[in-house]
Parts: sequence; structure tokens; C-alpha cells
Amino acid sequence: AAMAPGKKITARIKRTLPVKGPQAPTLSELMRWYCLNTNTHGCRRIVVSRGRLRRFLWILLTLSAVGLILWQCAELLMNYYSASVSVTVQFQKLPFPAVTICNINPYKYSSMKDYLSELDKETKKALETFYGFSEGKSKVRRSVDEWSSTGSDFFKQIPLLKFEDLSKTVTDLRSGQKRKIEGSVFHKDSSIVNSGDSNDIIGFQLCDANNSSECALYTFSSGVNAIQEWYKLHYMNIMAQIPLETKEKLSYSADDLLLTCFFDGLSCDKRHFTRFHHPLHGNCYTFNSGENGTILSTSTGGSEYGLQVVLYIDEADYNPFLVTSTGAKIIVHDQNEYPFIEDIGTEIETAAATSIGMHFTRSRKLSKPYSDCTETGADIPVENLYNKSYSLQICLHSCFQKAMVDSCGCAQYAQPLPAGAEYCNYNKNPNWMYCYYRLHEKFVKEQLGCQQICKDACSFKEWALTTSIAQWPSTVSEDWMLRVLSWDKGQKINKKLNKTDLANLMVFYKDLNERFISENPANTLVILLSNFGGQLGLWMSCSVVCVIEIVEVFFIDSLSIVMRRQWQKAKKWWNDRKRDQVGKSPQAGDLERQGHDNPVCIDEDLPTFNTALRLPLPQDNPLPRTPPPNYSTLRLETAFTEQLPDTLEVGQH
Amino acid sequence: MNLKKYFIRALHRLQKGPGYTYKELLVWYCDNTNTHGPKRIIKEGPKKKLIWFFLTLLFASLVFWQWGILINTYLSYNVTSSLSIGFKTMKFPAVTVCNANPFKYSQVKHLLKELDRLIEAALERILQPTPGNSSENSPPLDLGLWHQIPLVLIDEHDKDNPIILDIFESNHTAGDNQTAAGNETAAGNETAAGNETTCSHHGSNNCTYRNFTSAAQAVTEWYILQSTSILSKVPLQERIRMGYQAEDMILACLYGAEPCNYKNFTQIYHPDHGNCYIFNWGMDEEALNSSNPGAEFGLKLILDISQQDYIPYLSSAAGARLMLHQQKSFPFLKDQGIYAMAGTETSIGVLVDELERMGYPYSDCTVNGSDVPVKNLYSQYNTSYSIQACLRSCFQNHMIEICGCGHYMFPLPEGVNYCNNEDYPGWAYCYSSLRSSIRHRQICIDSCKETCNDTQYKMTISMADWPSEASEDWIFHILSYERDMSTNVTLDRNGIIKLNIYFQEYNYRTISESAATTIVWLLSSLGGQFGFWMGGSVLCLIEFGEIIIDSLWITVINVISWCKGLKQKRVQARYPDAPPTVSELVEAHTNLGFQHEDMGALPRDEALPPEPGTPPPNYDSLRVQPLDDLGPDSDAE
Repeated sequence: AAMAPGKKITARIKRTLPVKGPQAPTLSELMRWYCLNTNTHGCRRIVVSRGRLRRFLWILLTLSAVGLILWQCAELLMNYYSASVSVTVQFQKLPFPAVTICNINPYKYSSMKDYLSELDKETKKALETFYGFSEGKSKVRRSVDEWSSTGSDFFKQIPLLKFEDLSKTVTDLRSGQKRKIEGSVFHKDSSIVNSGDSNDIIGFQLCDANNSSECALYTFSSGVNAIQEWYKLHYMNIMAQIPLETKEKLSYSADDLLLTCFFDGLSCDKRHFTRFHHPLHGNCYTFNSGENGTILSTSTGGSEYGLQVVLYIDEADYNPFLVTSTGAKIIVHDQNEYPFIEDIGTEIETAAATSIGMHFTRSRKLSKPYSDCTETGADIPVENLYNKSYSLQICLHSCFQKAMVDSCGCAQYAQPLPAGAEYCNYNKNPNWMYCYYRLHEKFVKEQLGCQQICKDACSFKEWALTTSIAQWPSTVSEDWMLRVLSWDKGQKINKKLNKTDLANLMVFYKDLNERFISENPANTLVILLSNFGGQLGLWMSCSVVCVIEIVEVFFIDSLSIVMRRQWQKAKKWWNDRKRDQVGKSPQAGDLERQGHDNPVCIDEDLPTFNTALRLPLPQDNPLPRTPPPNYSTLRLETAFTEQLPDTLEVGQH
Repeated sequence: MNLKKYFIRALHRLQKGPGYTYKELLVWYCDNTNTHGPKRIIKEGPKKKLIWFFLTLLFASLVFWQWGILINTYLSYNVTSSLSIGFKTMKFPAVTVCNANPFKYSQVKHLLKELDRLIEAALERILQPTPGNSSENSPPLDLGLWHQIPLVLIDEHDKDNPIILDIFESNHTAGDNQTAAGNETAAGNETAAGNETTCSHHGSNNCTYRNFTSAAQAVTEWYILQSTSILSKVPLQERIRMGYQAEDMILACLYGAEPCNYKNFTQIYHPDHGNCYIFNWGMDEEALNSSNPGAEFGLKLILDISQQDYIPYLSSAAGARLMLHQQKSFPFLKDQGIYAMAGTETSIGVLVDELERMGYPYSDCTVNGSDVPVKNLYSQYNTSYSIQACLRSCFQNHMIEICGCGHYMFPLPEGVNYCNNEDYPGWAYCYSSLRSSIRHRQICIDSCKETCNDTQYKMTISMADWPSEASEDWIFHILSYERDMSTNVTLDRNGIIKLNIYFQEYNYRTISESAATTIVWLLSSLGGQFGFWMGGSVLCLIEFGEIIIDSLWITVINVISWCKGLKQKRVQARYPDAPPTVSELVEAHTNLGFQHEDMGALPRDEALPPEPGTPPPNYDSLRVQPLDDLGPDSDAE
């Protein structure tokens, strides 16, 4: 009567919702009950079948069905992260890509004279020494004399060498002395050493400034490559010391490069172009860069509606050693993409009309668990040095630049500067070239780890180009065309244009069909579950309910039966011992324990025998045809008879 | 008779009712259904019963939710693509070759004479601004053409009030020098060098200036407009005659090992490029197949474009224009064509890139263009539908609608004429405003649909000089002899083009679509879901439907009896002392509980005498009921 209200409530709950243990007393009974009542097929057959062979067969079949289900479901799980590809074509107004145009020659040779005259003189000298070549006899003679008198930094720093044979006897250009050279030999052109025929190999030596015994020797199979490479090294060294503003002035202005411009049937001019300074190509001009916020678009395909420009390529003002071809370079790219013009540019011929038809394709890959690509590049530990959206190319270049700054202490000229770094030059970093070559070697051999860190971007746009060339201007129109274009150019250049100074370029959409290739997850959770369901249903007519049943019967019930058994045994053993030893001393404790076992008081999780006993049982079983009666009767009969002594014992006390 | 009997039986049935209540029905259903959950609800003890009830509810809602997702997936009509690459015997593409220049200058000279003189004079004025000595004893210029669309110089050196100078105006004496100077100095700033004026009508104020930054462009555009107007008056036959003839243009032809000649080409008149010749168009004869990759088995052509005969102001690029396209399709050279340069051998390796798509409802494409609301003007060439044809037809239709005449570059519908300056003086204005109208373009883009089978010919183009210095002499000699039967060399490097068109080692790349979700997929997924959560099948759904019908039946009978009871109640109210009916008496005997509530008794019970016919099914609930009742008793002891 003095029970606490909380206790009362729990007691009430326990009364109204009593906990029952498994009603089968033994494991085999439980199994039998399960097999007869389960929803899965097969198990029932085992119990129902007569004859040992048949039963055995059914056991085998059921087990193999279970095995099959497990196997197939595992297979389904493993193939969960697969993707299917879909290609859609959409005809629509397309955004026109950014078109970046550069002159192949980066800076006007005439204005670079101040910086490069020294270097050019030496290059000419080298040419004469090695190959007996001289363009104007008298001029070179004089320069040779000058050179021999003054001496020069360039050869001191990186000597050009001529290898007599592979016995490592070299002629030094400067001293003309033959000497043995030590150091590892790198062949720039091929990894295979061309022994035999070409005994005149030319190359240069790069030494570690701090440790002069460590030298790397670069050799080339052709002097053309050697001279160009050597020239470029020095050129970069010189350019690195010139500030950007000066460089921009030294290069071509928009007026210099662009003669006429026409887009989508309307005239355009330099205002539609954005200047972009490329370290190796000088001033480049990007059409439709989207810098002012608007991106032009095309709603009609065909050459008339694209971009048409006539470029002025001043062939006479080319640097003879740095670039050996004439023309322009263009690249078609997205507004957010950095134009890697030195890597993937298309070259434009002079005195020709180059028509470039574009076809637009957009691709999208699925990122993480499907493939190892990156959406924005934010998850890549390499800082993006370019002010553009992520691409694999950007990552590799940034990664190399970072390694360069870390190990050489200065930045390579062709790539943007990281914060707080400076471009390499001899005066400050006398060692940088050797360092750079070493590092580059490592980079190419994938030892820097850049290729492992950088992932490709998940989505990318591609403009497939079809390039064709026609003669331009045609012989009959050449005369008036050149006259009018000269007039267009104005009197700034007081000469009639030559057709080899001009290049006509047309960039247009071949059609406005945009192809969109995208990956889609082949499976969703819903489909996976239905596939599971299909497998379970096919082999055993099973469902989640069956799985719950299995968990219930095989884990909870079996465990509780085993526990119950153990409990009984322990109790019996205890009682026996007690009876044998003292008699009736630990009665109170016993009672208490019994109290704990009382279903009213204890937790409902582990039903013990006592709870099972105290369960309200249907006293009468009026309908014997329903399955559970089987089970209850079993409990009624066997459970009671077996456990009767125990209860009686408790009752005695 | 039978029918009547049947109805009577049905009526009895109805009166009889299903014989059980909602609860009994539900319990019976749960016990006997094939779905896995419900059985558990009634079989287990009260606590588990609750758990199972919620589990079943949860599973059922899961099933329905996921069914919704699946059906949505199905209705989104996704497709999967499969890619196949390889080599197979394929139809060789149709090859269209044209000259970049539409007409022989020698043939059209008499038509363009006036125009050429005009433009020469204009150029003279532009280039040498000091007038006077230029006016020699040449015949006076026909300024009629000029006044329709004059070329002017606009000096925008002063941004706010630009000076506009007509090149042939008499009052230019003072301004000309300044203009030229202004142009040059202002080159860095804002300059419009050459301009073109188009007015809608003579003398009207409705004029626009089309600005060009380059005089070269202005002159070219102006010349094109003028020559279009002149040439549109020339009948088609005449125009064809003025163009390049097949026998002059196609010097040699070899397909695989078989020789072919200009007769194997179909002539087509293309407004941009004059006479074009199509090889293997497949209009009259079967299309040729190519079953080997490589240049040896492709098409080899030698063309002569005779560059001396080009119209100087019309086309500045010289070369052949060629295009690969499908059989029976119209070649749109401006869009898809490529150039071949004179004096070179151009090799073109072909890969057929095909995209086969499923039509409606998977994607919005058209199979043959019959469902596109634009009248296809290119059907007069017997060519198949293409998006380019649709866009051009759409533009031409707009043009006819707004300007009243058709543009020379596109085919004409019946009963409409091409535009020219005499009959339609305002056409150039109308055309240029229509051309720059974004709205009209968008209408065309929206109304045209792409075709479901999109075939592209991916070309790998490479070039080499041809003929080589050493072979030049004899090649020119033979070709000249073959063409003109003369021993003189009539050809030169600037006019001759060699073409090789062949299949690459892998000549096709086909992306074909198939439905990602079919009805079979949907059914098996639905079945899988239902089976996975509840072990159910379609039969279970039918069972459930049956139960619903049954419960409806119970409801109907209950309602009927309630109505009856209401009626009787009213009757009883009129005769308050009405004697109890027989059924009432029977009820009273069977059910003791009724004796207390004499009048408030629910009338429906009276209407439903217990029918001994159908015994209620053997519910387990019957057994369960006492089990629950006994609970407190056992606890109480």
C-alpha cells in the first residue's frame, strides 16, 4: 500500500505488458518452432520432411540458398559504387569561349636590344666557333674581338661545350682548351646514348656553385637544340630581372597585334580584348575574357558568326634565337581557365586564313567514392598560384614552383610567383640553374610527388577544334586588301604591309550542339535495397521481417535459453551444496535473489525461468488448429514438469 | 430468371452481411495474409505486439516511400549510353567540294562592272584623301548604287559629335584631310574607320550606321550586300552557267581502285559558293561502301580552283571548300566546311562519330523533322531534315514575313522573290536589323529541334606541298592536256589542290542510348522493395484490396441497417407502444445486455438478426482474449 507512485506505475506497466521469455524450453524445440512458423521457405521443409535423406537434402538446399543470398548480396554491395555514363546533346545558345591570341615572338626584338645584345653577340660567337657560321663576316669578326677582349659572364656561368667523342674529352668554347670533364651526363634529347656516328655532341655543363665538383652535363644530339636551350636559360635569367611593367611595354600592344576584328556580324576592337602577360609569350590578348562581367554568346553557328581577326605579325622584329617559327599562337579556353598557351596552343600560319571550327563538349565525373577527382581543388594540399579555377595543369605547375622555391630558394620564371618569393637570377641565386635542372629531372621522373598529389578536375569543358587553312589573301584580292589594311594600320608603320606579316583567323562554332557527358551513379540505395529484396525473395522468400525473426530466434531466444539452462544448473548445484553442507542458513539471501528474479521487479530484458512461470497462461486451449497452441502446450507440459521442483522449493520458504 | 435469382441471392447476402466485425476481419487478415509483418502482430505477446505493429507500419511506409522514388525514377526516363569503337564496312560519306569563290570573274564581269568601278573609286578616295587628280577621263560613276547604301567615314575623335563624311559627297573638300588625320591620330582611342549606312527608305530618317573598325571589313561587307542585290536578279540557270563547271574543276578522281570522273558528282547550286559538286550523295544511286581503312581505299581528287578568275572584292580567301556529310543531307559549308589550300595535298582521315538517341519521351529530338513547326525550305532539294536547315528556313520565313522578300543565301518558298535594291529598297536595313535581332534568333533556336541521330565526321587533317618541285612540270603538263587538249600548261600552283579522303583505322565511334529504366526494371524493383521489407507480392496487394472491399461492405451494411433503424425509430416514435418485433424478441433472448436499455438500444442490432449460416472464422484473438484477461489475476495472487 505504501508503494511509491513511480514504482506503482512500473508495476502496472509490467502487469499489463508482461515479459515473456522464449516459450520453448530447449534449443531444439525453439528451432522446431521457428522452422514451422517462419516465413522463409525451406526451413519448414526440413522439419516437415520424412526420411533422413530428404531432410538432409532440404538442409543442404536451404543452406546453399543462404549461401547464394550472402554471395549475391556481397556482390551487389561491392558493385554499389559504379557509374553509368549518359550523353546528352542540347541545341542552344552557347557561350563563346575565351580566345587567347599571342604572337609567337614574345618581345619586339628591336626594343629588347638593350637587354639582349650581349647575349646575342656571344651566341653568334659560339655559332662561329663551333660551326664556322657567320652571317656578316665583318660584324662577327669585330664582335669576336670584342668578346675576347672583354670576356663574358655567360660562358663563365654555363659553358657551352663540344664533346669530341664519348671519352669525355670536351672543348671549352671560351678557352678553346681540351680537358677531361667529370660529372654525370644527361642527354636532353633521348635517354639512349647515341654512340658511334655523331661524335660531335654539343652540350653545356651546370655546376653546383657551392660545390664545384658536382656538375651535371647536358648534351644534345643537335646543336640547334643545344643553342636554343642554352639561349633560353640565359634569356630567362635576364628577363627575370626586368619588372613586369617594363616587359609589358617591350611586348606588342593590342594595336600592334590586332588589325581587324569582327564578331557575330559586328565589328569589334581592342576594347573587347584583355591583356594577359605570359612569361614566355609576352603580351597575349584574350577575347571575351569575361573580365567586365559579360560573356558573349553565339546563337548561330557558322564562320560568319564567329570571331574573325586579322593579326599583324611583324616578322622582321623576331628574335632569331629564341623563336624559330613565325606566326601566332591561339588557345580556346573557358573564361575561368588559365590559358597554358605554351603547352596546348594552336599555331597560326601567316599569309593564310586559318578557320577553326569548334565543337563544344562538357564532361562531368562523379567525385569521391566513385572516382578520385576533385571538384574545386580545395582538397588538394597544393596552393593554386594562378588566379583561375583549378585544373590538373595548374596543380602540377604550382606544385613544381613550390618545390622550386623550397629547394632552390627562388621561383622559376615561366610560372607565377608564390607569396614572398622572387624569380631566379644569377646575381642573387648563382646556383639556381643547376638546382632547377636537377629538380626538373626529378619532376619528370615523378619523384617530387606532384603527380601523386594532383588530381584531375571532375568537370571540364572541351572545345574540339577542326583547323583548316586557305590561302589568304587570294592572288587577285591581295593588292587592294594589303592597301586597305595598311591604311587601317595607319601611318604608324610607314610601309606597305607584306602578306607574310598578316594572319587571318576565324574561330566559330560548327554547330550549337552541346554535348554533355556525365556520369551518374548506377545504383541508389533504393535500387540496392530492391536488389537485396529480389535476391532474398528469389532464393528463400525472405524479407527484413525474416531477418528480424532470425535475429530474435537465433540470438536473443537461443541465448536466453542457454542462459536459463545455466541458471538452473547453477541453482541446482548451489542448492545441492547447501543441502549437503549447512542446511538452511542462506535462506534470506536466497529469498532476496528470488525477489530479484521476480518479473514484477527485474528488468524485462533477460527473462528467466521464474518470469516464464509466472506468465499468465491460457488455461484452456479451445482451438487446437492454430500454430501457437503447439508451442504453448509444449510449454505447459514440459516446462512445468521440468521446472516444478525448483518452484516448489521456492514456495517452501 | 437466373438474373432475378441472382439478385435475390445478392440481396440476401447483403442483408446477411459479411458476418463479422471490423476487428474480426482485421485479425483474420493478419493471420492469413502472406505479408510477413501482420502475422507477428497478432501472434506475439502484448509488448512485442506493439513493437511489431510499429515495425510493420514502418516497413509499409518505407515500401510506399521507396515505391514513390522508383516510380519517379522511371518517369524521369533516364538513358544509359553505350560506346562502341572499331572498324566496319561503312557508307563512305558524301563529299561536297566547292570553290571558295562563287562565280568566275570573267563571266560576271559585265554585271559587276559598275560596282567594281565604284568601289575602286571609293578606295581611291579613302586611301588617297587629296582629291583632284583621280578624276580622269573615265566615264562618270553610277552613283545610284552608291546612294542606296553609302559608305561613310565617321571620325569619332571628338566623341560627343562625331563627324560623318560621305566619301563621294561634294562638300568633303574641307573635311577629308582632317578626317584621315583624325583617324590616324585617334587610332588608339575610339575610332570607327569605315562605315556603312543603311536606311529603311529613301530620304527617310530611319537610318542606321553599321560601324566597322576596319576599312577592309567595311568594304567587303558593303560589296557583299551590293553584289547580293545584283546577283539575286539573275535567273538560276544563268548563275549556274557563270559558276565553275564540273569538268573544269574536277581534274582527276579515284575512289579506291576505281576511276571516277566529274560525272560521278552531283551538281548543286550553293548560294555562298556557286556550283558545288557532291560525290556519293546517294540521291539516285546506292551509296558507296568502304571496307578498308587507309588512303589507298579512299577518295582521291585533284581540283583546279583557277585563282586568277576570282572576284577580287568578294572573297579574299582562296582555296577549295569541302565538307563531309551524310548521304541525302544538304551541305552547309559555312558551318561545317573546311578549307583546302591551293598548292597542297590535303589528307583527311575520317572517323564517323555517331550519336544515336532515343526519341520522345527520353529526349526532345526529332526523327525526321515532321514534328517541327518550321517549314523546311530545304526539302526542295530532297534532303533530310537537319537543324541547320531548320534554322535557315526559320530565318528566311522571318525575313519574308518582315521584309517581304527572301534573302539570296537561302532557298525561297513559292511565290516569293529574292530581295534586291530596285524592288525592295529597304531590304538591307531590314535584313541587318533582323540579323542582329537576338529575339528572332532565340525564336528559331526554340522552335527547331535537333535530330535524334547526330552524325559527325571527325577529321584528322594534314597537309603537304603538292606537287613537289621535281614533279611539278609533268603533272601540270598532263593535267592541262587532259582538261584542255592543249600542250600548253594552263595550270599553276595557285590553283591546284589534291585531296585524299579516307577512313581511319578505327572508323566509327557510336554512342547509342538505351533506356535506363524499363517497365520490367520498374516491376522487379517494386517487387524487390516489397519483398525486401515485407515479403509481399502482388497477391498480397490483392489480399489487401479484398480486405478493403470487405470492410467497405461491412460499412455499407452497417449504414443500411442504421438507416433502417432510424426509420423504425421514427415509426416507433409515432406508435410509442409498438409491440416488439420478432427479431427484437430473439435478440432479447440471446443477448441479456439488451434488456436494460429498452429504448436507447441501437436500432441496427434489431435489423440484423444473427445469422447462423456463417460461423466466424477461428480467430486466434479469441484465444488471446482470455489470455489477457487472466493477466491481472495471476499477478494478483
